[in-house]
Amino acid sequence: MTEMDKIRNFSIIAHIDHGKSTLADRLLEYTGAVAKRDLDEQMLDSMELERERGITIKARAVRFDYKADDGNVYALNLIDTPGHVDFGYEVSRSLAACEGAVLIVDSTQGIQAQTLANAYLAVDHDLEILPVINKIDLPSADPERVKHEIEDIIGIPADEAPCISAKMGIGIKDVLEQIVKNVPAPKGDREKPLQALIFDSYYDSYKGVVVYIRVLNGRMAVGDRVKMMHTGAEFEIVELGTLSTFNLEKKDYLEAGEVGYFTASIKNIADTDVGDTVTLCDNPCDKPLPGFKKAQPMVYAGIYPADGSKYGDLKDALDKLRLNDSSFTYELETSVALGFGFRCGFLGLLHMEIIEERLEREFMLDLITTAPSVIYEIHKTNGEVVYIDNPTNYPDPATIETACEPFVKASIITPTEYVGTIMQLCTDRRGEYVDMKYIDTTRAELHYLLPLNEIVYDFFDSLKSRSKGYASLDYEFKDYRPSKLSKLDILLNGDIVDALSFIVHSDRAYPRARRICEKLKDNIPRQLFEIPVQAAIGGKVIARETVKAMRKDVLAKCYGGDITRKKKLLEKQKEGKKRMRTLGTVEVPQEAFMAVLKYDDE
Amino acid sequence: MLGIERLCGLILQIKSKFTLATDCEITVEVNPGTVDFYDLKRLKEAGVNRLSVGIQAANDGVLRAIGRIHSFEQAKNCILDARKAGFDNLSGDIIFALPNQSLEEFCRGVNDIIATGLDHISAYSLQIEEGTAIYKRQNELQLPDEDGEEAQYTALCGILAENGYEHYEISNFARRGKNSRHNGNYWDCGEYFGFGAAAHSYYNGKRFSGVCNVKEFIERSFVSALAPTDYDNAEYISAEEVEEERIMLGLRTSKGARIPESKHSVARRIADLGYGCFNDGVLTLNSKGFRVSNEIIGEILV
Repeated sequence: MTEMDKIRNFSIIAHIDHGKSTLADRLLEYTGAVAKRDLDEQMLDSMELERERGITIKARAVRFDYKADDGNVYALNLIDTPGHVDFGYEVSRSLAACEGAVLIVDSTQGIQAQTLANAYLAVDHDLEILPVINKIDLPSADPERVKHEIEDIIGIPADEAPCISAKMGIGIKDVLEQIVKNVPAPKGDREKPLQALIFDSYYDSYKGVVVYIRVLNGRMAVGDRVKMMHTGAEFEIVELGTLSTFNLEKKDYLEAGEVGYFTASIKNIADTDVGDTVTLCDNPCDKPLPGFKKAQPMVYAGIYPADGSKYGDLKDALDKLRLNDSSFTYELETSVALGFGFRCGFLGLLHMEIIEERLEREFMLDLITTAPSVIYEIHKTNGEVVYIDNPTNYPDPATIETACEPFVKASIITPTEYVGTIMQLCTDRRGEYVDMKYIDTTRAELHYLLPLNEIVYDFFDSLKSRSKGYASLDYEFKDYRPSKLSKLDILLNGDIVDALSFIVHSDRAYPRARRICEKLKDNIPRQLFEIPVQAAIGGKVIARETVKAMRKDVLAKCYGGDITRKKKLLEKQKEGKKRMRTLGTVEVPQEAFMAVLKYDDE
Repeated sequence: MLGIERLCGLILQIKSKFTLATDCEITVEVNPGTVDFYDLKRLKEAGVNRLSVGIQAANDGVLRAIGRIHSFEQAKNCILDARKAGFDNLSGDIIFALPNQSLEEFCRGVNDIIATGLDHISAYSLQIEEGTAIYKRQNELQLPDEDGEEAQYTALCGILAENGYEHYEISNFARRGKNSRHNGNYWDCGEYFGFGAAAHSYYNGKRFSGVCNVKEFIERSFVSALAPTDYDNAEYISAEEVEEERIMLGLRTSKGARIPESKHSVARRIADLGYGCFNDGVLTLNSKGFRVSNEIIGEILV
């Protein structure tokens, strides 16, 4: 048992690439929690994919001891937060488990969109924010300017902020001392009924779900029957303990102020939602902790195996991924064009990309993904309100009273020289200007209301390319707004390809339709007959291209020895055909589906 | 190269060691300007009964553009000499999609070539292979585009049909009874022996070839105890593959191929698209179908 005044629970928050994971590694290394040689760069990002992308997808936590200058040994619980806008809710739950946050700011870049978004989140959770200026070893570092920014923009004192280089190991001790001195010790009553916050969980094939918790009040022990207050699920605790660097450290009980884990032979990760409150069945607390939300997918897409016969493999893979990630959803979907697949819901585009990439990498699957769609709110003339996440199910326009689409509040921080082009981009994407603030003489923060639909295409890529990579984006859901929407169908050889249909704002339908027809034309190989590629809204064709009939594909000479050559050719051709989907009589390669998912600004 | 002398000697040797069928087809390929009447007469006397003459084009400018050393006049003379020497089965080749030639010029040339009275014509489109002299010069040449090549091919097939040549294989046209029997054997999946470097044989379910390198082939023939066959490249043809080859090769000829039941709807669609006929389970491609035969064979066999 650790006395509460010797516990410090904190997170590290930062804009992407400002050095969050590196600092975490250095803290562990400095306190001897890991030996330098064991440190596989960025301990906390344990998934391969995360390490490659340099982003943290899932929160993880670790406990380590630090002997401070005051002579006391403190137990520090570092709760890592996912570093991407898609995972805002997870970040908020991790912060709710802490009393303080180390806010890292890159001394060469200054405050960025996620610096602000995370700092505001920390303020909302009443956390003590400890600013840390990182990367001071770089020649372009300007710690004084960044300190002023922090004071001016976030409004917290930054005078004492340690100037460090996590990479070079400079200033690490200052950070630790500040954590001990300035992060408040946890408050809580160990005599009260149990109240523990779930901030993460993962599936272990031997133990079942391993639940990460922060105990706020009371205590929990092995053998206790506990209840998840929102899902209502009840379990008996099999094992619990604290989180050391490499493994789970078994204990007999956990008490208020502590961060740890428990297992209870839980089979389904959906029973342990992030943000839920754990309490005792026979001595429950009177109310759950505030802030619980069911993770709501924002973006939907159809995922199909490129080879239709691999449907079973895809299902198994999704089942396995879901064990560790309750925030993505999937259900069976059938497409006339693509056969059996799944309609999957994701927190955002990055989340979608991560799932796709894991399916392809860890499960060796070849996928066809349909264009991502947001959820539309359709008010029908008969008073019914339906939510549409699949363009195929879009109701007949005649039955629609009002169609609404989700809008987000977007915050973009950019060097001032790109303000013009970014405002143009936002206007092009139907953005509604809210305001603009100058952070300093070189940078501005823009606020726009943007349709999420526009962001799920390639907004982020466009933003990056227009600002040479300097602009940063953060957004959160705002509300549903009435909009002029149309369902655009794509026809190949006269037949609608359901998997290519999408919902688009009416004003943008023509250029989008033309662009997609062109892309399909370029990506569908010539076949034995001419293939009209059309885009239509409600039966009216608004764009058309033609894939001309194949002119020549012949092996002129086929005498004795050429037969072997011809056969090799044939084998290659068969392989190629296997990678195509036959839609009606038209063979469409996987690349054609991919090509229509992204539209470039041209 | 084997001269006339040794070639005739070889034929005579073969005749003395093997019993040949009375109607055995013996073809020799000749290039215009490299043989005279007397050479041809000697070949005829040795038993050669079919000549294939490398005519290629009827326009000397075009011939020069693709680096041929003969003139059309020489090609015509070669054919006259062959007739005088007693050959009654003559084949010639025509190349289309050649540079610097309008469609009208091309058609005139085809008519000029036919006027020499050939019994059989092989026609190929110009292939510009990487590493050849013409490959480096292709930008200077006016090559027909896709439409131009298509137009020449269509015109060629039309003219030959009007003049009684049947389009009996993708690249081959013949007057009645003058189909190449030698090649016909390949397309009927018959067995054959090929002699020489890189020459292929197909016997007893096995396809194999002589070693490719001529020098090595000769060394192995005389010095080494090894037969000059490149057994590493031998292929054993399974029953399934035989069936595949039968369709693949059959579809290349006017005889067509019997299509398995499961692919009848595909075959019917191909016929409906105007690429051939599908009757009694046999798919036969026409001139238009031959042009895209890789795709058609692929669709039938996948």
